[in-house]
Amino acid sequence: MRDTSAYDSAVVADRPPFEDLYREFMRRIYAYVRAQVTSSADAEDITAQVFMNAYHAYGRFEPRNTTPAAWLFRIARNATLDHFRAHGRRERLRRTIEHQPVAEVDPAGVAEERIQYRALLTYVAKLPERQRDAISLRHSGLSFEEVGGLMSCSEDAAKMLYHRALKALRESVQEGMA
Amino acid sequence: MSDNENRELQALQRQLDDAFETTRPRAGFEDDLWSRMQARRPLWAQVRDFFAGLLASVRRVPAARAATVAVVLVLAIGIGILSLRGPGGGGGASTATSRDARTAPFGGAASGAFGRLPAPALQPVSAADTGPKTVIPSGLAAGQSAVTLYFGPAHLEWAGQFNVQVTSAPVYRYTEPASSAADQFAASVGASRRQASSGPGGLGSFSGTGFVLNVTSTTKSPPREAYFVLTPDRSSLPAPGPTATDTANSFLAAHNLVPAWPNVVGTSQTSDVLQVLYLRQFAVQGVGQAYMVDWVGERHGLEVDLRGGQPLQVVGPLPVTLDTADYPIISSGQAVKAALASSPAAPASIEPTPTVRLTTVELVYALAAGPDHSFYEPAFLFSGTFTHNGITYVKRVLVPAVAP
Repeated sequence: MRDTSAYDSAVVADRPPFEDLYREFMRRIYAYVRAQVTSSADAEDITAQVFMNAYHAYGRFEPRNTTPAAWLFRIARNATLDHFRAHGRRERLRRTIEHQPVAEVDPAGVAEERIQYRALLTYVAKLPERQRDAISLRHSGLSFEEVGGLMSCSEDAAKMLYHRALKALRESVQEGMA
Repeated sequence: MSDNENRELQALQRQLDDAFETTRPRAGFEDDLWSRMQARRPLWAQVRDFFAGLLASVRRVPAARAATVAVVLVLAIGIGILSLRGPGGGGGASTATSRDARTAPFGGAASGAFGRLPAPALQPVSAADTGPKTVIPSGLAAGQSAVTLYFGPAHLEWAGQFNVQVTSAPVYRYTEPASSAADQFAASVGASRRQASSGPGGLGSFSGTGFVLNVTSTTKSPPREAYFVLTPDRSSLPAPGPTATDTANSFLAAHNLVPAWPNVVGTSQTSDVLQVLYLRQFAVQGVGQAYMVDWVGERHGLEVDLRGGQPLQVVGPLPVTLDTADYPIISSGQAVKAALASSPAAPASIEPTPTVRLTTVELVYALAAGPDHSFYEPAFLFSGTFTHNGITYVKRVLVPAVAP
């Protein structure tokens, strides 16, 4: 698991400058979102929305109640779900109507395709929603307690869900390679 | 679990760590986004930070140089104000003005029982929205043609018949719900609070027997009313009904979620998910029922998603108390003039600028969100099509109907 930042588990007494949070978490939030959606353009849009929302809500952020990481990832999770609600249904509908397969080519993400592990994230994106979420949140550096809090389940349930997801991912990767 | 399996899973975990660690947005995105966020800060915040920066500088300056600092401070304040307002003295305000101009052909205000009203507007909120966008018109049968929306600049012409005859229409207002309203709603569906809030605008997370409920307050961008998302536990669902609509109706009734507002029910099938849509309507004397539309002009209401014939999720507006007041409506001539003069809701994404003949107009209701109150307001939704590179696009223009 990646090293966690000072903001991850420690509940900071005062709000750090928002820019500190931004610089600390922007890439992690992007990676989390990117594992959920099919294009880097969508991931950038959602990431932008996440930080716009967070920026406007920062005055109401209460650091004594939650960590900045949990707070930001909750915003990211809600924004991603909103994206699926607002766009996913229509996109699925469009594909159904036009009998088109899911687009394989993402011109905006050509540079990103060079990244060695892109294929693995594609398999993550194909997992059922909760499994995908558990994997993405955990590997974005959140503790199981934080993952459980975000997914409205206990820490133990989050661990179980994560391990089930991991096994499902392994099977999916093996099937894909067969 | 065998040792071999363990090793495989550990290897997979390491690969996932690396995959997430190495996934990055394009070069420059981080700084671009930060600049955009700074640019969108309100003027008062920019002024506040400007003075805060100056004061911090003053505190660091030795007392002996105080007089020099005072002179510098005066000059800096003057320069700062000029730089914030721009050489014409209106730079700071011009951002707000251009946004108002885009959203409110009549200045975004109207006098009436609720006072000045914010103006409803189409508002594609992301780059993905601002480009051409393919959607299925909501609430109609599956199998209909998809349409591709275009929000960018266009040369607009009016070539339709304006058959909407109305001189006044109700505006509905609600007070932004507090977490207590979410508690009350949760109790009405048999849920109790799990968490205080969930993210910005989160009014609470709740759980009931066999489901989880999240409630979110009104959002300004995109303009969206306070809403709930109820997700049932898939392991304890009742048997599907004879039709999808029956299943949705039963599920809503069982959870006390049947819409209290007038609506038209439609369904849309997409891969393994079927949506039952309860499209909200508002009564307007002399017109009948007017549909509510969302931020891209799609009909909007409550949605029940079904998979395998069983409920997957319900998303709908949080029930709120609506005050109402009648407002005068602009004439058809004013509406057409405003539509033709309207600013685009998004930057250009098709070149050259297309010419669009607007051919239809419909009275609709759209949400205009304010800080303390939000409003369901009447508006005229104009629509027309054009073809570019063999693709037919739909251009929509939303004109606030309330007279200034």
